[in-house]
Amino acid sequence: MNAWTQRLQKLLPGGRWLVIVPPYVWMLLFFAAPFAIVLKISFAKSQIAIPPYTDLLQITDNLLQIVLNLDNYLYLVRDSLYFKTYVSSLKIAAISTLLCLLLGYPMAYAIARADASVRNVLIMLVVLPSWTSFLIRVYAWIGILKNNGLLNNFLMWLGVIDQPLHILHTDVAVYIGIVYTYLPFMVLPLYANLVKHDQRLIEAAFDLGAKPWQAFLKITVPLSKAGIIAGSMLVMIPVVGEFVIPELLGAPDTLMIGRVLWQEFFSNRDWPVASAVAIVMLILLIVPITMFHHYQAKEMEGRLT
Amino acid sequence: MTTPHPAPAAAGTKQPTPSDATFLTISAIRKEFDGFVAVDDVDLTIRRGEIFALLGGSGCGKSTLLRMLAGFEKPTAGKILLDGVDIVSIPPFKRQLNMMFQSYALFPHLNVFENIAFGLRREGRPKAEIDSRVAEMLALVQMQKFAKRKPHQLSGGQQQRVALARSLAKGPKILLLDEPMGALDKKLRSQMQLELVNIIERMDVTCVMVTHDQEEAMTMANRIAVMEAGRIRQIGPPDEIYEQPNCRFTASFIGSVNMIEGRITEDEKDFVVIQSPQLPHGIYLGHGISGFEGQEVGFALRPEKMEISKAEPEGQYNKAQGIVEDIAYFGSHSVYHVRLPSGLKLMANHLNARRWASEAFTWNDTVWLSWGENSGVVLTS
Repeated sequence: MNAWTQRLQKLLPGGRWLVIVPPYVWMLLFFAAPFAIVLKISFAKSQIAIPPYTDLLQITDNLLQIVLNLDNYLYLVRDSLYFKTYVSSLKIAAISTLLCLLLGYPMAYAIARADASVRNVLIMLVVLPSWTSFLIRVYAWIGILKNNGLLNNFLMWLGVIDQPLHILHTDVAVYIGIVYTYLPFMVLPLYANLVKHDQRLIEAAFDLGAKPWQAFLKITVPLSKAGIIAGSMLVMIPVVGEFVIPELLGAPDTLMIGRVLWQEFFSNRDWPVASAVAIVMLILLIVPITMFHHYQAKEMEGRLT
Repeated sequence: MTTPHPAPAAAGTKQPTPSDATFLTISAIRKEFDGFVAVDDVDLTIRRGEIFALLGGSGCGKSTLLRMLAGFEKPTAGKILLDGVDIVSIPPFKRQLNMMFQSYALFPHLNVFENIAFGLRREGRPKAEIDSRVAEMLALVQMQKFAKRKPHQLSGGQQQRVALARSLAKGPKILLLDEPMGALDKKLRSQMQLELVNIIERMDVTCVMVTHDQEEAMTMANRIAVMEAGRIRQIGPPDEIYEQPNCRFTASFIGSVNMIEGRITEDEKDFVVIQSPQLPHGIYLGHGISGFEGQEVGFALRPEKMEISKAEPEGQYNKAQGIVEDIAYFGSHSVYHVRLPSGLKLMANHLNARRWASEAFTWNDTVWLSWGENSGVVLTS
C-alpha cells in the first residue's frame, strides 16, 4: 500500500464512524432538539393562539430582535407553590430512594451470597414483574390498597383491624407504589457490585479481629459505594419527575413536579410556564446525574485495573 | 526442649516452658465436605518459634488445614490446641492467629497505613499507640515511603510486604502463610523467601506456611510436613525429607528421583543386595535395612548422586550402561536422561564446572552411570 491510498483512507469515514454516528444522531434528534424547543418555549410569552406561545424572534421596523421573557422563571420564584412542589418532589424522591436502599441492599446481598445456581433465578424473580405493563401494576395497587381492597379485607378477616385503613390516596400509597416500582433499579446495580466482591477480604477482616458487623461496615459497604450510588441515582432521578404513581395512588394534595407540569400544560394550557418548570427540574437533576456518571466512570475504571 | 519440671511462668522471658514443644497441637483433625474427606485424621505438633511448612500438591488438604487453623473452616472432628487452649470453637476474629493470604487480600479502598492499622483499630487501641505500631511495622518491611499509597499502586513485592506487616501488626501467637510466594515471579521469589524468614525470625513468631513449591518449603521452613490425599506422609527437617524419604510419594514429590523397583536378594547385617529386572547389575547397599529376603522394594536414587562416565566403572554392582537420550541444560548443571537396554530411564546430574564441559557427553553417546553404596534409599511403602 502506498502513502497516497493510506492518506485517502484516513479521510474516508471508517467502520468506527458507522458505529458512533447513529447514536449521536439519535440523541441530537430526540434529546437535544426537543430540549432546545422546550428551552425556547420557556422564554416565550403565553398567548391564546396556535401555537399558544409567542415567537422569540420578532421583526419590528426592520429590526430583528430576540425577546427573552424571564417572566416564567420569575413566576416560579414568586408563587410559593412551585418551590413547595420542588421540595416535596425531592423529599419524596429522597425518602423513596432511602427505602429502596434499605430494602434492596439486603436483597442484593442475599442474592450475591446465594449459591451460584440459584442466583440467576433470584435475579429473574426481581426483574420478572417488569414484564407486565408498569401502568397495570400501579392500577393493581389500587385494588390492593383501597378501602374495600385486598389488604383491608384480609386484615379485617384476620381481625387485626375492624375499620378499613385509609391507605389509598395518601402519601403512604405513593411511597408503596414508588418503592415497589423502582426496587429492581436499586437491586440490580447493587447485586452487580456485590457479586464481584472477593470473599477473602471479609475473611481477612475476620482474621484481623473484625466482628461480622464490623467487617460489613468497614469492608463490604465502602466497597459497594459505587453500587449504592448507581442504584440511588437510578431510583432518585426518575422518581423526582414521576407522574403516574402520585396521580393514581396519591392524594389530591400530593405535590409532585410531574403533576404540576401536567396541570400547567394540559389544564392551564400555559406552555411557557410548563416549559420553565421542566427546565428547572432538569437543572435540579443535573447535580445527581453528574455524580452518577462520575461514579459510573470510576466503577468502570476499577473494573479495568 | 522439654524440661522435667514446669518452669515458673514469667511473662516476657524466653525460658523454654513445657508448652514450647507442643505450642500448637493438632490432634486427630478431620474435615469432610459432602462426604469427601479433605483432611483425614491429621496429628501435628508445632514448636514455639519454628517455621513449619505444609507441603503438598493441589487438593492434598493443606489449605483446608490452614483454614481450620485460621477458623474459616470448622473441623468435622478433632482438636486444635494453641498454648494449651482448644481454639476449635473460637470464631476467627477472636483467635490470636493472623494470616497472610494468598494474593494478599489487601483492602483495596484503604491505603497502606490503614491496611496495617485495620487489626489494631478493631482492638480499640489509642491512636498514638496505633500510629507508632504501624510506623514500626512499616519500618520492619521497609515501606515507610508508601504509607499513603493504595494497594493497586504497589508492585507485587510491595503488596506482599504490606500483607506481611498487616498480619504481624497485632503480634499474633502464630502467623499463617498461605502460598506466600505464589503471586511473585521467580527472581523476586528467592529474594523474598530469605527476607521473609529474616523478618519472621526477628519478630520471633511461630509460623505455619502452606505451599506446593518444595523449593520454597526447603528454603524457608525448619520442618516440613509432606501431605497427600488429606494425610501427612512424612514430617521432618528439609534435609531429612530430601535425603531420607520414608515412602515413594515423598521421594518423588520432593526434588527429582530415579525410582527403581526390585527385590531383596541378600539381606545381611551390614549390607543388602537388591536385584531388579530393569538393571543388569544389582544394587548394593553398604548398610543393613529392616527388610527381609524376597521383599519387593523401591530404590530411590537422586540424580545428583550419580556419576556419569565413558569408561566402565569398577566393581560388580551399582552401575548401568545406557544411551544419552535427552540433555536438559540448566546452566549450573545439566541433567542427562539415559535409557538402559531394559527400557528404564535414569537421570544423572552433571555439574558444569568448566565452561565448555557440556561437550563431554552428547546425544546418543553410550555412557556408564554409577553410584556409591550409600547413595540411595530403600523404600517399602
